[in-house]
Amino acid sequence: MGLVGVGAGAGILSVEASRSGDGVPEPGPPGKSSVAVLKAASYEEDLVAKILEGARLCGLDVRGKRVLLKPNLVEFDSATAINTDMAVVAAALEAFRTLGAAEVRIGEGPGHRRDTLGLAEEARYLHGIHDFEGVFTDLNRDDVRPVEGFAGERFYFPQSALAADLIVSVAKMKTHHWAGATLSMKNLFGLVPGAVYGWPKNKLHYIGIPRAIAELNRTFRNTFALVDGIVGMEGNGPIQGQPKHAGVLVMGRDLAAVDSTCCRIMGIDPTRVEYLRLASALGHVRESAIEQRGESPHAVRTDFELISQFRNLRLA
Amino acid sequence: MAESLSQRLDLLLRTQNDDGGWGYFPGKRSWLEPTAYAMLALDGHADRPVLDRAWRAVESWQLPDGSWRPGADVEGPGTWVTALAVHLCCARGQFDDPFTRGVRWLMGTQGREGNWLARLVSMFQPGDPDNDTTHHGWPWLRGTSSWIEPTAQAVVALHMAAPHYAGVDARVRDAEELILSRKCRDGGWNYGSRRALGIDLPSYPETTALALVGLQTRKNGLGEEIHHARVLFEQTRSRLARAWLSIALRNLGEDTAPPDDAPGNDILLAALEAMAHPDGNQKAFRVPAAGSRA
Repeated sequence: MGLVGVGAGAGILSVEASRSGDGVPEPGPPGKSSVAVLKAASYEEDLVAKILEGARLCGLDVRGKRVLLKPNLVEFDSATAINTDMAVVAAALEAFRTLGAAEVRIGEGPGHRRDTLGLAEEARYLHGIHDFEGVFTDLNRDDVRPVEGFAGERFYFPQSALAADLIVSVAKMKTHHWAGATLSMKNLFGLVPGAVYGWPKNKLHYIGIPRAIAELNRTFRNTFALVDGIVGMEGNGPIQGQPKHAGVLVMGRDLAAVDSTCCRIMGIDPTRVEYLRLASALGHVRESAIEQRGESPHAVRTDFELISQFRNLRLA
Repeated sequence: MAESLSQRLDLLLRTQNDDGGWGYFPGKRSWLEPTAYAMLALDGHADRPVLDRAWRAVESWQLPDGSWRPGADVEGPGTWVTALAVHLCCARGQFDDPFTRGVRWLMGTQGREGNWLARLVSMFQPGDPDNDTTHHGWPWLRGTSSWIEPTAQAVVALHMAAPHYAGVDARVRDAEELILSRKCRDGGWNYGSRRALGIDLPSYPETTALALVGLQTRKNGLGEEIHHARVLFEQTRSRLARAWLSIALRNLGEDTAPPDDAPGNDILLAALEAMAHPDGNQKAFRVPAAGSRA
C-alpha cells in the first residue's frame, strides 16, 4: 500500500499560506483562468452540445484520460432541487466519452445517507443513465489509500478518486447554511469515504468546513468543474432551500474561478466567502483574473435568496 | 431453506476474501463492517472453519489501544466498528483479552460534544438549542460528535457484553437517552440531528431502524416510533432501509415480509437481508433482556 504525496513537487502553496492578514484574497496563481458560462433554459435542451462547447471554450483535453464524474447527490426531496440533475450527469457522461476519454465513470459518497444506490434511484440516476450500475462507484465504500498531509494528518481517500486522471466536479449551484455557497469545490466532500469517517463526515466539520474545502482542493488538483445552475437552490441550502432557476451551466478548469463566477451569478460577493479566501492561492477569485467565456456573469445574474447569517455576502 | 435466503448466503460464501474477511463488494479489499455482518448472517449457516478464518482476520485488525480499525487498508485510528467487533466477541462467546480491551475502549469513548470543555461552553453560551448535549453517545471516530448509528451499535454491543463486563449499565442507559433525545418531530431518526438553524429535519428509514435496534430493551416506551417504522417499511424502496427496519421490527415482535429481489453484488446488503429473513439469523441483533443477565 503506497502513500500518496499531496502536491509533492508541484509547487502548490499550503492553505495556511493563502491567508492574508486583512481577509482579502491573495492575488492567486500566475496568469488568468477561463470560465465558460453557457445559457441553458431547461434540462430538455441539448446539454451534451453545451458541455462540449464549454470544454472547448476552456481548452480542456481529456483524450486518453480516466475521468471520474463526481455529481452532488445528497438527499432526495421531490419538492426541491438538492442534487445535480440527472440530465446533466447523463450529458456529461456522453460528452466526456465524445471528447475521447479512455474511461468515464461516475462516483459519489453522500454525506448523510448510507444507501447510495437507493438515493441514485430516487434522483433518477439509476434508471435514467444507461448502465448506471456498470459505471458507478459508491465512494463511501470503495477501497482506500492514505494521503499524507491533509489538514496536517493522514487521510484516506477512495482508490477511484486517486486513480482518476481527471475528476469532474458536476456540482449544483446552491446556497449553504454553513459555508454561504456550495459549488464545485465543496462538492469534493463526497470524495471522503464514509466507511472511514462516517455519515456525516463529521471529521471535516471539526477541521472547519472552509479549511476542509480548501484542503480537498489542494489534494485533488486534476479537476474540472461543471456546475448545474439550470435550476439551483436558494435560501436554506443545501437541502432545505427553494428551487431557483438561473438557466446556466458554468464550466472551467480552475474551480476557485468557477465558484467565484457562480457566486457573482448568484449575487454573492466571492471575496467575502471564507472558503474562497482560503483557497485563493489555488485559483482565481478576483474578477480581473478570470477570462469569462460565453455569457458575462453579470448579464445572467440572478440573485439567490440568502439566509440572515449570510446577507453580508450580497454582491453590491 | 427459502431461495431468497440461500441466494444471499451463497453469495457470502462465494465472496470471502483470502484473508478471511469480506469487502463491501466482491473482489474488493476486506473491511470490518461487511465482515461482521457476513459472519453474523452465516452464524448457524456455515461451517466453523469459514467463521474461524473470518474471525482471525477481525482479530488481526485490533489495535494496541483496544479499538478496531475499519478495514485491512486503514492503519488507524480505531473507529465505531469496535462495537461490531465486541458484538462478534459476544456472538462467538469469546470473552478474552481482545473482548475486554475492546469494551474498555468503548467505555472510554464518547462524542466530543460530551467532553467537559464543550459542556462548559454550552453552560455559559447556550447557543445550540437544536441538540441536547446532556447525554453521551458514540462518534464514528474519536474527536467528533455522537451520532445515531455508532451509538446504537455500541449500545447493542454493551448490552451483550454486560454479563461479562461489570459497570456498563449506566453508560448504556445514558446512550439510550441520547438516542431518544435525537428523535425527529416526525417520530423517526436521521443520522442524529433533529434540527438545524431552528428548522426540523426529517427522519430517514435506515437510521430510524438503527435507533430502534438500540432502543429494543425499552420496547414498552415505544409506540409511535414503532408505528412510524412500520409505515417507513411499507413506503421505502431502499433495500438497505427495509433490511434494517425488518431487523428492528422483528426484534420488537413485529412480522415483516422477507426480501424477494435477487441479492445483487452488495455484500453488506446481502448479509443484512439474510439476517432480516424469517429463516435467517434473526437473533443477531437481539440483546438479552436485563433480567436474564448473570
